[in-house]
Amino acid sequence: MTVLTRGAYAAPGTSLDFKTGNWRSTEKPVHIHAKAPCHAACPAGEDQQAWFAKLQEGHVEEAWRELVSANPLPAATGRVCPHPCETACNRKDVDGALAIHNVERWLGDEAIANGWAYPVEPPADDAPTVAIIGAGPGGLSAAYHCLRQGLKAEIFEALPEAGGLLRSGIPRTRLPREPLNAEIDRLLALPGITLHLQTRLGRDVSLAELKASHAAVLLAPGCQESKHWDVGGAVPSDLHEGLSLLREFMDHGQFPEAHNVVVHGGGNTAVDLCRLMKRAGSEHVTLITASGLPGPDTDPDDLINVVPRELDEALEEGIEIIDHATVNRLIMKGSKVTGVEVVSLKKEPSASGRKRRVSFEGTERVMEADMVIPCIGERVDPDGLNHLLDGSYFWPDSPFGKLEDGVYAIGDARGDRGTVAGAIGDGAKAVEAAAAHIAGRPQPTLDTRAEMASTGLNPVYYALSPRAEPPKVPPEARTFTTEIEGDIGRTAALAEAQRCLSCGNCLACDNCWTLCPDNAVIKTQELASDGSHYLFDLDYCKGCGLCAHECPTGYIQMVPETA
Amino acid sequence: MQDQARLAELRQKFGREPAAPSEPTAERTPREAQPRFRGLESGHRACQGCGEALAARLVMESAGPDVMVANATGCLEVFTTPWPQSAWRVPWIHSLFENSAAVASGMEAAMKAKGQNTKVLAFGGDGGTYDIGFQALSGMLERYHNILYVCYDNEAYMNTGIQRSSSTPHAATTTTSPAGKERMGKRHLKKDLLSIIAAHHIPYAASASVAYPQDLQRKVRYAMGIDGPTFLVVHSPCPLGWRHASALTIEVARKAVECGLFPLVELERGAVTNIMPIRQVRPVTDYLKLQGRFAHLTRDGDPRAQEERDHLQALADYNINVFGLAGDGDDPVDTSGITTVGRGGPLAGRPQ
Amino acid sequence: MREALEGSQAIARAVSLCKPDVVAAYPITPQTHIVENISKLVAEGDLHTEFVSVESEFSAASVVLGAAAAGARAYTATASQGVLLMAEVLFNIAGMRIPLVMTVANRAVSAPLSIWNDHGDSMAVRDSGWIQLHAADNQEAVDTTIQAFRITQETELPVMVCMDGFILTHTLEVIDLPEQSVIDDFLPAFEFNRRLDPADPKSLGTLVDPGYFAEVRHSHHAAMQKALSVIKDTDSAWETATGRACGGLLTVEGDPGAAVGIVAMGSTVGTLRAGMAHTPEAGPAKLIKLRAFRPFPTQALIEATQGLDHLIVIDRAISPGLGGILGTEIAAILADVPNAPKIHNHALGLGGRDIPETIYADLIEAIKDPDAPLIFDADMAKLAPEDR
Repeated sequence: MTVLTRGAYAAPGTSLDFKTGNWRSTEKPVHIHAKAPCHAACPAGEDQQAWFAKLQEGHVEEAWRELVSANPLPAATGRVCPHPCETACNRKDVDGALAIHNVERWLGDEAIANGWAYPVEPPADDAPTVAIIGAGPGGLSAAYHCLRQGLKAEIFEALPEAGGLLRSGIPRTRLPREPLNAEIDRLLALPGITLHLQTRLGRDVSLAELKASHAAVLLAPGCQESKHWDVGGAVPSDLHEGLSLLREFMDHGQFPEAHNVVVHGGGNTAVDLCRLMKRAGSEHVTLITASGLPGPDTDPDDLINVVPRELDEALEEGIEIIDHATVNRLIMKGSKVTGVEVVSLKKEPSASGRKRRVSFEGTERVMEADMVIPCIGERVDPDGLNHLLDGSYFWPDSPFGKLEDGVYAIGDARGDRGTVAGAIGDGAKAVEAAAAHIAGRPQPTLDTRAEMASTGLNPVYYALSPRAEPPKVPPEARTFTTEIEGDIGRTAALAEAQRCLSCGNCLACDNCWTLCPDNAVIKTQELASDGSHYLFDLDYCKGCGLCAHECPTGYIQMVPETA
Repeated sequence: MQDQARLAELRQKFGREPAAPSEPTAERTPREAQPRFRGLESGHRACQGCGEALAARLVMESAGPDVMVANATGCLEVFTTPWPQSAWRVPWIHSLFENSAAVASGMEAAMKAKGQNTKVLAFGGDGGTYDIGFQALSGMLERYHNILYVCYDNEAYMNTGIQRSSSTPHAATTTTSPAGKERMGKRHLKKDLLSIIAAHHIPYAASASVAYPQDLQRKVRYAMGIDGPTFLVVHSPCPLGWRHASALTIEVARKAVECGLFPLVELERGAVTNIMPIRQVRPVTDYLKLQGRFAHLTRDGDPRAQEERDHLQALADYNINVFGLAGDGDDPVDTSGITTVGRGGPLAGRPQ
Repeated sequence: MREALEGSQAIARAVSLCKPDVVAAYPITPQTHIVENISKLVAEGDLHTEFVSVESEFSAASVVLGAAAAGARAYTATASQGVLLMAEVLFNIAGMRIPLVMTVANRAVSAPLSIWNDHGDSMAVRDSGWIQLHAADNQEAVDTTIQAFRITQETELPVMVCMDGFILTHTLEVIDLPEQSVIDDFLPAFEFNRRLDPADPKSLGTLVDPGYFAEVRHSHHAAMQKALSVIKDTDSAWETATGRACGGLLTVEGDPGAAVGIVAMGSTVGTLRAGMAHTPEAGPAKLIKLRAFRPFPTQALIEATQGLDHLIVIDRAISPGLGGILGTEIAAILADVPNAPKIHNHALGLGGRDIPETIYADLIEAIKDPDAPLIFDADMAKLAPEDR
């Protein structure tokens, strides 16, 4: 029995005997590390927030090491990726998305300049070897991730050089050779990777042999064959297909003469070609695409698959773009094109759920053209792979690219891909699955965490600061060799890192600790078990939800008491 | 759950924290190891999201531990000290509703007489400060006691069940100023207490808000350094009385400042020496619509509601004009600048 | 040292000898001279104390509450309306068991406004839980004030020293003020172990729920009863130190064999003593001087009234609608005592009405009159018939 104190005084801090935690009725706070939208959107599987955090602390090399734990070619992707991370960035609703690709590129270039080494160990001498078809970004990424999984990699490349599309399909104005070579050379020099050049699947090696001789086979052949193109059966006699025209130009530096060029398609190759031809002297270059241009209401499914800044630059350079349209008819004089009939169309939902293209009668118009270039994509060279292809591509039903036991598809050869970053991410995922298969472990699963939406943040706590803008060569001074977008530099890169909202992750900002009326947030010296710096003392937390509301990043969420 | 288990284990191992802050401990629980003075401990019985509990906690962190407190009757007193428990870790006394300033005066006189330097704090709510304890407060200021008086302003008599005080804002409903067919809530204005306090020509008087804890704590530290009477009024939302969700306490307090209805100002010897500029002035409706006590003002199509909204907007505009609150550019200590956070805490990388 | 001093001045000097750390007061007639004299001592450097000139009696009481809680020896003085304005704080001080001393220069309570003496003010707070000691003359007031500091410290109960306004406060008497060294030996240094102290930060003045409130009141009541012996012992110790006593809880004088007793408090005792001496024809009486009103010396009173046939109880305040306060209380005390005297309760000297020595004979005579008025010296002729 408690004995009365004289005058009923109380001893200090004795309220701790009263556990106010049992006042919580419905909800309690928890730390939930939701996926940052940049990470969720990144086809390469980068954790941008993690490397931005290192940069915020001023640790540049550590930031790069964090970055290349997913993507071994940041100097390349920082230049060519359409950066869906920036499109997804929650900061776009505050004061502009982070310039993620610029910082990625700067980190990649810093690593090259400083000779930083990949964070990988050489595999054991008796480590299993994985066969990889193709030394493009997907194949290279796969080889690199083999080492990270303790496996050896043996790459078979049909061409005399490694690099795939990065080397053959992207102009130097976007991706100069120096950083590309540096990253590929650094990767291929890693002990445990063997590269066989001019070794073609179906001619020099067969899939059956590889399956027999290697622990797993990863298929990253890319798409080499032009798809057939005609308009109502008509094909001009001097037809040039887009990608091969671009490759020819990159090898020989010349385009066939044309004044009014119509490019039909909607990808980066189409836009690259438009710009190069305009720069080479064609008076009118028009891109006709079935997709839509970026706008506030553009459905992501409808959006043209082009690096946004490339599109802006193309418009800057005088390229005309007709969106939501297609070439309806070729107007020929003999076997030569003299014009095209264009018709408006749109992708509409269908009963099956897939989009169908509907053209609208009465919107036909004719425009002059002396060259029509189809840029409608390429298909996988079926040599040696026929039984695995479904039409033009692989369609694995696993996100890890599994086609059959020990055989995985990577990159553009998959019908659902189309970016360098996607190929790099596929490489990592396929190796993860292959490594599990080889070791007899359960197959990996995808990260199914929820994504942190901007509505889950409390933006008042972020200092406004505008997005860094890199220097650019002005349109009139652009050439065929000089890179158009410049380097943002160290200062801007570090400043940009400070702009990261850290969506869904703990900033250790102290808000919860400072604002809890009940002293129920305990700050820890080390990391708490959930990776934050704070503990909830549920003995005293009354469940008011204040910490969750004032958490800038949405890392604190209120969940039902029973969860 | 893992954390709870760990906390329980540590408590089991090390027992509860020592009785006095000065008592040395070999090993400390995470709670004991907090890098701040826990003048107001957990286990107090404030409502969920209580602005006053938060304000008092913040004040104690900056003021303690070498302080003693005289606390007027009110929520803060009741929820912290239901015998035999106390949430305080400083010497603390509650006497009556209207005499905390006078009791503090006696404590301060005792310290002077005994040649001790422990700073005396006096706490009161708006009822105990603006109304019933006003005379004692005025006397304390006039006699120039070395006391920091903190008024936790939640704009009504909350402890007795939300009755209007002279601090209740115009047009707010309370149980004694309800809105009805004839009335639109409180008929009178919120008393301009700070001007009256400042007229005592004391060294320092300021207003602060729980929405800006760094600013609040800076003001406490500044006042603590002054040998003489100082006064701080802290806007402390009451989720129950203002009728807003408990999670919105800070949001509501922030909007009060951002709309101009609760200006954050500092006065020294009666003169305004500092203000917190409002970077982006918000309309008062942004503040009003968050709270049930103003629900009758946000009814569509009621001309009286429109008139009262306009009246409150005019009062906010008046404050903004009188104190020059509209910021003229980004300022690190304006309403937007001061709340920003960065990785590693509010003080990381900033000069202290 | 013997000096001719005004009552108020003597109290100021006595307080000064006790070296209070904090004195707070607000001016009110007839207490004013006490604080004026203390102020003067402070101004002259003869007393080192924090003198707080507050803005009201309410704050005066609050300041001494805070000061004592913070470990200071604290003192205040008031009267009349001041007592009533303090009332809320007085209950609070006692309930928290805060040790301090207050002089009440007893005066009537308004309305109507009267600045003159009666006991209406201290009687109004008789249930506040304070020790209330009444001084019959200025020497007693001085001695009781000094003793009060020791009693309050020992009992942790606040002590109110009541002295009749004007009659004592404004009267010159030859007073024996002890040497400082006597006081220093008699009165230990102020200690209050529940004091507000950062090294052991207690919380005072908590909220107590119904589960313990009754126990709080019980412990207070028990402390008051235990204080009876403290009051008595302190007076004995004082007698040892100075050769002078104030009469402990109560004193009995006059004829031990008398059948009539008279109980009174304060300066009335002196008037009755003189009346008894100067009008022997009225007959002898046992004169009981009650010093401790709270705690009430029940047992001592029962013993003192044994063998009496009649007991006249003099009040200087009334509880309208019931009667005299002291009289009612004593009637209750003696109700169960076998062969208890018959009680004759009268109020005298309200609002400063002069009490002549002849009152003694009149009171003895009035024993025979069953219709003697409660307010004994009220003149019905001054009242309209409907107000009588």
